[in-house]
Amino acid sequence: MAAAPLQGVRIADFTWVWAGPYCTLQLAHLGADVIRIETRTRPCITRVLPPWPEGKPGGLNRSGYFNQYNQGKRSLTLNFKHAAAHEIARKLVAQSDVVVNNFAHGVMDRMGFGYEALKKLKSDIIMISLSGYGDTGPYRDYVAYGPAQVPLSGLSALTGYKGWPPMHSGFSYADPNAGIHGAFAILAALYHRAKTGEGQYLDMSQWECAMVLLPEGIMEYTMTGREPERIGNQDPLMAPHGVFRCLDRPEKIAGHAIDQWVAIVCEDDTDWARLARAMERPELGADARFATLAARKANEDELEAIITVWTSGRRAAEVVEKLQNAGIAAAVVADNKYLSEEDAHLRARDYFVYREHPEVGKKQHCGVPWKMNRTKTEVRAAAPAIGMHTDEILTGLLGYSADDVQNLRAQGALE
Amino acid sequence: MAGALSTLKIVEIGEMVSAPYATKLMADLGAEVIKIERPAAGDRSRTRGPFPGDRAHTEKSGLFLYLNANKYGVTLDLSASEGMGLLERLAAAADVVIHNVPPLEMDRIGLSFDRLQRVNPRLVMTSITPYGLTGANRDWRATDLTLWAAGGICVMNGAGAEYPEMPPLKTFGQQAGFQGGVHAAAATMGAVMAQLRDGDGQHVDVSIQESLASQQELFFEYWPYMGMIASRLGRKPIQPVESLQCRDGWIYVCCIEEHQWRAFVEVMGNPEWAQEEIFSDRVKRGENWEALKIFLEEYVAQHTVLELYKKVQEKRVPFAPVSTMGDLLNSEHLKARGFFVEVNHPVAGRQTYPGAPLKYAATPWKLRMPAPTLGQHNDEIFGKRLGLSAARLAELKRKGIV
Repeated sequence: MAAAPLQGVRIADFTWVWAGPYCTLQLAHLGADVIRIETRTRPCITRVLPPWPEGKPGGLNRSGYFNQYNQGKRSLTLNFKHAAAHEIARKLVAQSDVVVNNFAHGVMDRMGFGYEALKKLKSDIIMISLSGYGDTGPYRDYVAYGPAQVPLSGLSALTGYKGWPPMHSGFSYADPNAGIHGAFAILAALYHRAKTGEGQYLDMSQWECAMVLLPEGIMEYTMTGREPERIGNQDPLMAPHGVFRCLDRPEKIAGHAIDQWVAIVCEDDTDWARLARAMERPELGADARFATLAARKANEDELEAIITVWTSGRRAAEVVEKLQNAGIAAAVVADNKYLSEEDAHLRARDYFVYREHPEVGKKQHCGVPWKMNRTKTEVRAAAPAIGMHTDEILTGLLGYSADDVQNLRAQGALE
Repeated sequence: MAGALSTLKIVEIGEMVSAPYATKLMADLGAEVIKIERPAAGDRSRTRGPFPGDRAHTEKSGLFLYLNANKYGVTLDLSASEGMGLLERLAAAADVVIHNVPPLEMDRIGLSFDRLQRVNPRLVMTSITPYGLTGANRDWRATDLTLWAAGGICVMNGAGAEYPEMPPLKTFGQQAGFQGGVHAAAATMGAVMAQLRDGDGQHVDVSIQESLASQQELFFEYWPYMGMIASRLGRKPIQPVESLQCRDGWIYVCCIEEHQWRAFVEVMGNPEWAQEEIFSDRVKRGENWEALKIFLEEYVAQHTVLELYKKVQEKRVPFAPVSTMGDLLNSEHLKARGFFVEVNHPVAGRQTYPGAPLKYAATPWKLRMPAPTLGQHNDEIFGKRLGLSAARLAELKRKGIV
């Protein structure tokens, strides 16, 4: 295998929580040397959040949340209350290609690490800020938290069961979305730099980055003047198009029954006839209530009730197997256990990775969502314990002696 | 100023969202994108809408217009050998081919990396497929809804513990397609950087299922770390983080840190109930959410969304409006940043689209031309670019290949 695409590219990673770490994770997958600048005095919140092995918290290195999104990165701890920490960070920037942060607007400037200052350290530096509201505009100093970005973007107003209030997406979707768009933008900026020698500053508003996912909602409004209706799992041009109840998991988890569901879609009348046959109700294929899309849309409640009668006595995986064999789009509504243990396809593709972590050992983590046939692209190592690479970065990369490091540590600059 | 990717040449064989979104990201940075559509029918997103005045028209679908601005559009039947031959000629002159032709269809028409690499050894080819190009499920049929389910995302959303009968809920739109597209765009640019370095191409295999499974927040790891199942039926451990109804719409009430709650209590005028022991920290507020909700609903209902939003944000509390589309179009902040853009299309007319995902200081994001009408650039690309004679092109058109 040839070297990974970004081998030799260094990222000074000032990010925390999820959006920024998801961004730099992609660059680590592509081979970049991502150095997370952290501090024990105010550690990333994901280092202390659950899940922890055996449910036991303690320390800063046990969280599966942090350990997922920081795989393959190095960790350098610096306490910016010390001037020496600033000096170290400046030296690191001078040896980096990209600086990433997801603080609110202005924070990096106040720390002395605004783009103009960084440019003086490295003239072709690329810097990206993944802030909630962006660097300009009247709300630029507003505070943004992951879960609130989903309703802010318009996605909540568009998502929900028919006749119900606006709902959430169930996770802080705007965060990884900002992260992956940021990773793409950094790569585009690296390409431009490779062609012209020019670095630049990239200003992302996570709010805007989420709205680019909503053209159908936004343009329904701009093209018709109407606010879109919430339609649950349905679709205006396909029916059935829904999520249907199956038998509960055969096993109980922590004493609880766990419900299971299956997603089923018929894209056209042929699909519907196939589904009717698969349900052993072939007569429904030509039934006037369901034979055409218009008829199925008009009788969708009845249609969904018929399908539910069939699915609710079966296991989700069995329904999917049967429908896929019949050529119909269907999938188990996968939960984390299903993905972890029961989705044989993901295992066959070696999607999951198990890297040795100094405190939690080998744990199953999600890996790289793409494969390349010529260059490496991989999870090189588990997420770092906090400060794990401080010494090697200071002595190996930045030219400090072992004595210097000892002094810096004694002063508290490496907390 | 030229865009960041203005020297990059891309051929897209895309339907609906994933591949078209990947190449849109690049086209909007200046890359040249030649989009191949099926003769006669074209990209299915042409039938999805929304449409101006709700009148369906294959040149007026909002989803298509948005995803395909800045691209050249040609039609080509890839199941015919002459069609595949023309694709090879386009690929020979390109840096990148991005497609979302499903694996079974690839086999049927003979589209493969080996084939295109033979005509262009430095080509990067990116295949975006529902489940990837290998493994038992590679030929499974899929749509946005089934992928949202298969990627472990759908399970996280629903009406919560009080309504276990309500199903897991899809997020609006074509989110699996968008995520497959943007992950593919990043992976493709990685391969392009390696192409620049080594002069060699490669095949990038992007699985939409894996792109989604990669973003399950902290939920996936609950199984390997703690043996716990993630479910939409779990209670929120801390509160308030919920949408509540104001006089004129909904607001997302969000106090994650204790200082944010204290600031919100102050904004509310320090009501007596807020001093109750059962609301004294975020975990207790989570345990007693039913009681807290009644007080908050009563307070929030007396205010307008914008008034309350601005008032709490002044105290650095991260509330947000539950924005309607109208709110977005009228937002003073988005106007000041110039987010929305107007595009004039020869058939669909002047329409407002969502704009840039982010701002590039040195190499601006820019819409240079509207989405192509079906086959709009056939003459320019096949005639002028590839040098096909008018007679040859007419013959291919007659055969339905172009």
